[in-house]
Formats: sequence, C-alpha cells, structure tokens
Amino acid sequence: MEGLNFNIIDISYLDLIISLGLIIVVAGISRWQGMYLEGDLIVGAVRTLIQLLAVGYILKYIFAFDRWYLVIFIILIMIIVASLTVTQRQKKRTIELPFIVGFAMTAGSGITVFVVTQILLQIKPWYDPHYLIPLAGMVIGNSMNGSTLAIDRIDSEIKSRKMEIEAYLALGATARQAAGASIRAAMKAAMIPTINSMMVVGIVALPGMMTGQILSGTSPLIAVKYQIIIMYMIALSVAISSYVLTNIRFNRYFTSDHRLKEESL
Amino acid sequence: MNKPKIELHKIEKNKNGIAILKDINLKFFSGKKHILIGPSGAGKTTLLRLLNRMEEPTFGVILYDGENIKDIPVLELRRRVGMVFQIPIIFDGTVKDNLTVPYRLRVISHPVKQDELTKNLELSGLQSDFLERKASELSVGEKQRLTVARALINKPDVLLLDEPTSALDHAAGIKLLDSIKELNEVLGLTIIMVTHQLEYASLLGGRVIHLVNGTIVREQESEDFFLNSEII
Ligand SMILES: Nc1ncnc2c1ncn2[C@@H]1O[C@H](COP(=O)(O)OP(=O)(O)O)[C@@H](O)[C@H]1O
Ligand SMILES: [Mg+2]
Repeated sequence: MEGLNFNIIDISYLDLIISLGLIIVVAGISRWQGMYLEGDLIVGAVRTLIQLLAVGYILKYIFAFDRWYLVIFIILIMIIVASLTVTQRQKKRTIELPFIVGFAMTAGSGITVFVVTQILLQIKPWYDPHYLIPLAGMVIGNSMNGSTLAIDRIDSEIKSRKMEIEAYLALGATARQAAGASIRAAMKAAMIPTINSMMVVGIVALPGMMTGQILSGTSPLIAVKYQIIIMYMIALSVAISSYVLTNIRFNRYFTSDHRLKEESL
Repeated sequence: MNKPKIELHKIEKNKNGIAILKDINLKFFSGKKHILIGPSGAGKTTLLRLLNRMEEPTFGVILYDGENIKDIPVLELRRRVGMVFQIPIIFDGTVKDNLTVPYRLRVISHPVKQDELTKNLELSGLQSDFLERKASELSVGEKQRLTVARALINKPDVLLLDEPTSALDHAAGIKLLDSIKELNEVLGLTIIMVTHQLEYASLLGGRVIHLVNGTIVREQESEDFFLNSEII
C-alpha cells in the first residue's frame, strides 16, 4: 500500500461524544430560527452514532471471520433492506413489489459486482469482504434510489399517457410496445442523477468513499481510480436494475390480452 | 341485407356494480354504415370499446365473421377493427412518422410503401404534401384526419369512430363526415360511428341504433329514423 508515512489519527469514543457538539450547535440554530427540528436532529444524530458503530463492529467481525457465506449473507441483507425501503416509499404497495425490486437490484448489482471483482480486479479470495462489501453497498444504495425514481416515473407516465397508450393498442400494439415510451422515460429518470454525478464528480463534490480512503491513508491516485470504477459500476447497475424493474412493473397496468386496466390507474 | 360482420349476443357490461349495458343484441353488417346515437352516458363509448376488446363484456358473446372475438388473436382483431378516438391522438414527429407506426408495430416489419401512405392520406382528406409536416402543427380537424389515415394503414375491415367530430368545428366536422362516407363507398369499409349529434347522424346515413341508459330503444335505417323522430 502507498502512503505508508501517513499515520491515521484514531478517533476515541470521547472524540465522538465531543463531536456531537456540532449537532448541539445545529440544534441551537434550529431553535433560534424557529425551525423546530431539534427533536429529529438529536434522534438522527444518535441514530447515526449507534447505527454506524454497529455496522463497524459487524464489519470487523465479518472481516475477521472471513467466510464466503457470511459475505453473501450480508449482501443479501443489504438487498432486502434496500428493496423494503423502495417499497415503503411507494404509495401503491403490492405484495410482489419488494420481490420485483429485489430481483431487479440483484440482477443489476450482481452482474456489475461480479464483472468488476471477478473479471476486472480478480480479487483473491473471490469473496474478499474488503472489496465485496463496500462495492456492493455503493452499488445497491444507488440502485435503490434509481429504483424509487423508476417506479414513481413509470406509474405517473402510464397514467398521463393513458390515451396515447390506448391509441397504440388500437393500432395492434402489444402492451410492451404501447408502454414503450413510459418505460423509456422511467429508465431515463432513474439514470439522470447518476449521469449528473458523473459530470461533476471531483469538481463539485468529493465522493464519500474516496474521501474515506484518502483519510485512511490510501494514495489519492488509487482512491481516485477506485472511484472511477465505482461510478461506472453505479451507472451499469442502475441501468440494469431500472430496465428489469420497469419491464416487469408496466405489466400491472395491462391484462394478458393487451388491455389497459382501467381500475389500476 | 348482407351477412353480419359483428354480432353481439346478450351483452351486459357492469362497472363497479353499475349496469352500463343491459342485454344488448345487435348486428353490424359488412360494408354498411352504422350510427350509435343517444344521450351522454348512454353507454355508446363502452359498447364501441367492446368491439376491439379495449374492454371486456361482463356477460355475453361477440362474434366477428361468425367467430367469437375471444378466439381471434387480439392484436389481429385490432388490426381488422380500427378505432378513431374522440380526441385526435397524434404521436411525436411528422405526419409520415405517424403513418408508419402501424408498420413498426408488426413483428415482421413490412416495408413502408410510399404510395400506400399518400393513398390513405388522400382518402382521409389530406394532401400528400402533408407527409413531411410536423403532426403537432396540424389543425385539430387535420389531426383527426391523420388518425383516420393511420388506422387505414392496417387495412381494416371495420372502422370504429367515437364521436370523431366532437373536437372539431362545424365545417371540419362536415368535411370529416364526407371522408368517412367516401371510405365506406370506395373501400367498402364497415363503419360504426358514435355521435350524439343528429345532424351528423343524418348526414352520414346508414343504420341508426338508438341507445338510452344501456339499452337499445330503437334501430332503423337512417331515412326512417329521421322521418319519425320527434325527440331524442
Ligand atoms: N369506471 C366506471 N365506473 C362506473 N361507471 C362508469 C365508469 N366508466 C363509465 N361509467 C359510466 O358508464 C356510463 C356509460 O359511459 P359511456 O359509455 O362513456 O357513455 P357515452 O359514450 O354514451 O356517453 C356513464 O354513465 C358513465 O358514467
Ligand atoms: Mg362517449
């Protein structure tokens, strides 16, 4: 590893408690300005502390235990939590929605992480949690946001394009053909944040993961190379998962004989 | 009278527990013009939408050339039974882009025949030099003609029209009706048109089917219908 002459300052628990002072200042501003966010703010700050510390300990254990099934299990948990989060953000929840989202995200992040870790980086052992867990986490987190956007958008597109869709059906279009414009719009909506962040990365914002790597002593150039690959991984995984998701989701608005379901709108 | 193209047997349609169509028995004849007339909410649109399976009846059977329409592949049925909507729905791009949509929807794409495009445009009352114009810049009347021309690309036997003139001004409405009459005469197209305007009904001619509250109250040839029609 490069940057050996860099000695990371460990943060003590006392330091963490003191850093809560930053939040106290924010709470003060909130009270002073009458925003009344103090309650949420304190809860949020404490949750950040507890959740991240818990993750830290879990990861430490996983890294030490070093077994493939534990790594896969953790990634599955991430996908499940992400799928439930996407589902929870929806107004129209159906029983099958978390499964569809889970399937789409497994496809998107699975393919992407596989290609990068096994073909490109060829990590050894293949399940090395130091690589697999952060990469999967980045990709799943972004696919989660992309999936939310894709579902919202395909639902609203199909509603607003109802007449156009029926005009297509009346000309002999399949449901998939009639929903084509809606699917394209939804995939686009899912992709745009990723494309935008590729445009400005490093200029407007330093990605959190890269910042973390640099702070922990990795050479900035290595950190940047990893970040480049991560950006590309996110793009591919969001594209795949929103493609899979929208191509399943549109079906709920149609019958098997290519009729728009009035009652589903 | 020649043979029936479409037959409805004991058709009922309920929506949310409300009876929209009640025991409809009806025949539409090959190459003939038919007018569904009646007050708003009578169930005219619903009836029309059953014919190309945009909606399904709750009970009853619909036959097309003697065959249950459920046994005809639905995409094939919709090509044989074209539909024009109340509000003209045009797609992005030029007039030509709109007309070539039906070709592109086919699994095996047919080569686009330029003379077919212009022929259908002219049959619908638009000049062939419209082809390269932006469809969104046409007048409402021209847009509706374009949707008729677009439906003709599939070479349908039957054309369903749901109040095609209601978004058009009077002059444009009359012009469109003339074109519809011509389509019937030149192509032998079976016409089923919904309207609630008596004037358009009598102008088109053909068989008049009077629908009130989901029931057929009268069915007559246009000349007889308007001879003894006091009120509607
Ligand atoms: N989803 C629905 N639920 C209940 N009633 C409906 C629904 N859609 C249409 N209707 C009712 O069905 C009746 C017939 O509608 P429609 O076929 O559009 O009539 P028309 O075209 O003759 O004006 C109307 O009274 C309308 O209010
Ligand atoms: Mg109507």
